[in-house]
Amino acid sequence: MESLLQHLERFSELLAVSRTTHVSTWDPATVRRALQWARYLRHVHSRFGRHVRIRTALERRLQKRGRQDGAPGSAPVPGLTNFQALGRCDRLLSLRLLENRALGDAAYHYLLQQLFPGPGVPDADEETLQGSLVRLARRGSAVHMLRFIGYGENSVLEDAVLKTQAELLLERLREVPKAEAEGPSRFLSTLWDRLPQNNFLKVIAVALLLPPSSPRPQGEELELGTPKTPGEGGQELIRWLLAKSDVMAAFCHNLPVGLLTSVAGRHPELSRAYLGLLTDWGRHLRYDLEKGTWVGAESQHVSWEELYGRFQSLCQAPPPLKDEVLTALESCKAQDGDFQVPGLSIWTDLLLALGSGS
Amino acid sequence: MKAKKILIWCLCCLINKEPQNSEESKLNSWTRGLLSHILSAFRFDTKEVGLFTQGLGYAPADYCPGLLKNMVLSLASELRENHLNGFNTQRRMVPEKIRFLSRVCIPLVTLPDIEPLVEALLTYHGYEPQEVLWPEFFDAVNEAFLLKKISLPTSAVVCLWLRHLPSLEKATLHLFDKLISSERNFLRRIECFLKDSLLPEAACHPAIFRIVDEMFRCALLETDGAPEVLAAIQVFTWCFVEALEKKNKQLKFTFKTYFPYASPSLIMVLLQHPKEIPQELWHQPLKHISEMLREIVEDQTHGSYGGPFECWFLFIHFGGWADIVAEQLVMSEAEPPEALLWLLAFSYSPRDRSLQRTQTMIEVKAVLGHLKKLFRSPTLSAKDLQAAAAESRDRDPRPPLCQQLIRRLILNFLLWAPGGHVIAREVITLMAPTDELTYEMTGLLDQTLYRWDHLCMEAPRSRKLARELLAELRSAGTAR
Repeated sequence: MESLLQHLERFSELLAVSRTTHVSTWDPATVRRALQWARYLRHVHSRFGRHVRIRTALERRLQKRGRQDGAPGSAPVPGLTNFQALGRCDRLLSLRLLENRALGDAAYHYLLQQLFPGPGVPDADEETLQGSLVRLARRGSAVHMLRFIGYGENSVLEDAVLKTQAELLLERLREVPKAEAEGPSRFLSTLWDRLPQNNFLKVIAVALLLPPSSPRPQGEELELGTPKTPGEGGQELIRWLLAKSDVMAAFCHNLPVGLLTSVAGRHPELSRAYLGLLTDWGRHLRYDLEKGTWVGAESQHVSWEELYGRFQSLCQAPPPLKDEVLTALESCKAQDGDFQVPGLSIWTDLLLALGSGS
Repeated sequence: MKAKKILIWCLCCLINKEPQNSEESKLNSWTRGLLSHILSAFRFDTKEVGLFTQGLGYAPADYCPGLLKNMVLSLASELRENHLNGFNTQRRMVPEKIRFLSRVCIPLVTLPDIEPLVEALLTYHGYEPQEVLWPEFFDAVNEAFLLKKISLPTSAVVCLWLRHLPSLEKATLHLFDKLISSERNFLRRIECFLKDSLLPEAACHPAIFRIVDEMFRCALLETDGAPEVLAAIQVFTWCFVEALEKKNKQLKFTFKTYFPYASPSLIMVLLQHPKEIPQELWHQPLKHISEMLREIVEDQTHGSYGGPFECWFLFIHFGGWADIVAEQLVMSEAEPPEALLWLLAFSYSPRDRSLQRTQTMIEVKAVLGHLKKLFRSPTLSAKDLQAAAAESRDRDPRPPLCQQLIRRLILNFLLWAPGGHVIAREVITLMAPTDELTYEMTGLLDQTLYRWDHLCMEAPRSRKLARELLAELRSAGTAR
């Protein structure tokens, strides 16, 4: 077991090196050894896939290593991050070497010979490394070609990209060790600090909208023994959002209105928080007699139009949400004094504008 | 898959492991760049996405399959919902885009990930009066389907064939190729090929049926009534009727749509399944069929139901009836009814003039008479049978088709007569000395067994004999 773990360590180092210029010192023999190691680990993957103890030990080592390489709490280093990745480690290594211009011609030539033996060798099944690489290349081409079918803003491609990112996020969340209660939160906070925030928010929203039984996105193999709790990722996200008020505010502020409504419709805890924010924003508006509309005291306050737009969208949502929103508005109106006349309470005006009467 | 592999192999050959000068180095560099471009999946231009995925520790190779899957599903559901969006032109996919999409899919057709999109394109029904998909798309899908590189639901394949006639024709020819190959195909295998091809099921749609039927007809005419083609038509019709019955509740086409040139009452009788009628009563539908056919054939004006060939072509679709006639005539103790004799003669030789046919009928009647005497004979010998089947010296020699008919009657006799199994092998050796005749006999035996299976006929002794004879003839055939 210990030798296996060591092997894993050495290979991870090798993998890290394979992207650097250090490979210029490699000769064909080095390449051969590297490929052999990769093959061995792949074999380990298929052999011990169902062996929970060994799997867990390997996975733990990989994750620990991943975190060591960066600052504490940093994102995992691209490479071997979980047990599943072992099944593709030969491909990973091959791709890195193939792209690395620093690799000498002789070594590169040898690599190609190993990967693509040519027509003489019978390609038994698609599971060979060659088959896997070619299949990947085909899929890449397919993505390239289908990209040309974009039609403006409502791009089919954009939806697919967001959905894919969402699936990736959920997969990583699943891997965060459950032992540390703060694990997921810390992980998400780190991401929030490092990644482009607007995109991140959209991805979170899409992740929250994924169907509950979302299948494992990247695994081409069946993962046995992993706890399959697809809803849990979503729960972690919600927990984190609710805990971080600044993120929640950005979430509600920056995302497209329709998207927010959908998310609120699916997750009651978020709808409550969203409504809370909206009422908060609403309270900042004052009625301007001259202009005859509600305006914010400061420039960063949300405008009447925007507030109305959001409430309108929420009222177009199906029942539980719609009723909840109307009830909230009613109670705010009551708190304000239950005015029927416009211009005194923003809640009255909103309700009037929404046309729900009562 | 093949093309990409070959391209990569070619590029690999260009790599020089020890470049001697700057030219060779440059070539290496160029080739490496190209290989890298082909193999490295793809790169996303969007910086945000790149940062996100990297931040999570994923390389493009990791999420490429997932992305492709999502794109395909997205596009497929857009297509499916397109007709729902109706006149909401903002959401709607314009026809040009769909056309372009189908064009883009042509090289991708054999990639399994693309299947949902291909299916959605095939089943897409827009508002445009003309075909919106690119023609080569249909060709590519059809080709992939025939070579089994893509698996599609039957409904999608039917859409393909309905929208693109050349694909249907190619599919039928592909089937013919398989059926009429050098190796003798037995009816069970033909049935497998047919069901596999999805053509019988697709033929529940009258348009498809008519085209396929027409192609069968051409094949029959071209091969001058080859027994292989006859057998294929018969099995095709079996499968087709079976498929129709399964869909009974869904499709509401009358039989006239499938057989527009045939008499409806004739079709109804032909469609009856012998299984549903007790064996003793089989004479009735047979007589009925005979009378109706005779009426049409002998009608000099050729009415509205086509001439003798059309009638016969229709009849052989339901070829089981012709086989049953022969069997019934041999098995029955009574005097052979003229109607059945006529039917038998007609099924073998539709183009005969009435004089020739009558001649045949007389010959057959005579042979049957002899056979009946021998049926229950305890001391049955091969010589007796030979004598029974012998041609009369003072008449013209029998035409080949008539000889074939007689051989069939003899075979039926051997299978059913109590003493038949004893002399069977001897008789067959006498009757079928050549390869060609052995071939004929094997065909008859195979057909008989197939029919018995379909009719669930209990006849243990006859079955056993038939099976044994078939096995022996087949191995004899391959030994020669």
